Amino acid sequence: MSSEAVTFPYMLLFRGTDWDKGLSPEEIQNQMNRWTVWFDGLTKQGKATLGQPLLNDVRIVSGKNRQKVLDGPFKESKEAIAGYIFLRVADLDEATTIAKQCPGLDNEMIVEIRPINEGIGRGPA
Amino acid sequence: MSTQTTKSEFMLLFKGTVWDRDLSPEELQQVMMRWGSWLERLTREGKVKAAQPLASRGKTITWKKGVAVDGPFAESKEAIGGYFLLLVSEDEAIEIGKECPALKYGVTVEIRPVVEQCAAAERAGVTYART
Repeated sequence: MSSEAVTFPYMLLFRGTDWDKGLSPEEIQNQMNRWTVWFDGLTKQGKATLGQPLLNDVRIVSGKNRQKVLDGPFKESKEAIAGYIFLRVADLDEATTIAKQCPGLDNEMIVEIRPINEGIGRGPA
Repeated sequence: MSTQTTKSEFMLLFKGTVWDRDLSPEELQQVMMRWGSWLERLTREGKVKAAQPLASRGKTITWKKGVAVDGPFAESKEAIGGYFLLLVSEDEAIEIGKECPALKYGVTVEIRPVVEQCAAAERAGVTYART
């Protein structure tokens, strides 16, 4: 193995837009702070390259004639995607270890870890 | 959603990882080539911040009995196959979503505004400081 660390891109998708249900503003604030500390730590370590929450103002396009547009916002749900983080890490195991640290897991969010196919397209700078 | 012409970030999520099952290799090749030239054009127009396919050998982490456990990722009509991160107006984001070459094979495109502030924090009226 060479001393230069080889890293690969992964996307963490955070599912669950109703995680704050039943929490007090203080508890939500506390969770948000944990998210910020977690993300900033990963950024400082050079492991997170990009990460943002997504608004629930969703639109969905589908259909063969390309004219079917469903307008949100939709009801908050356990499956809906609330945000994402791009990682550059050694392997799927490291990405999984990081995902297990996600503060949202305490609120029953689900973290999906997906390796990115670098053969096509363009990743975040 | 209100109509706006100012540019902001939108995430296009392509849903469906089994849409190509009944396509011939030629048809699939043709869709992929259309997808490639579509992305090239949007990139030339300066609308693309990032765009990549996601591999299917992922994992899913859930909270069970107080422990984070990992399980397999399942391919389905709802699973996400890739994304475009665009810098466009809201109307443009929707028009671009309608151009997706795999729509007619059952892929759906989810269009989501990217924000600085988490929606849950906004609902609760709390802010969090970035370091």
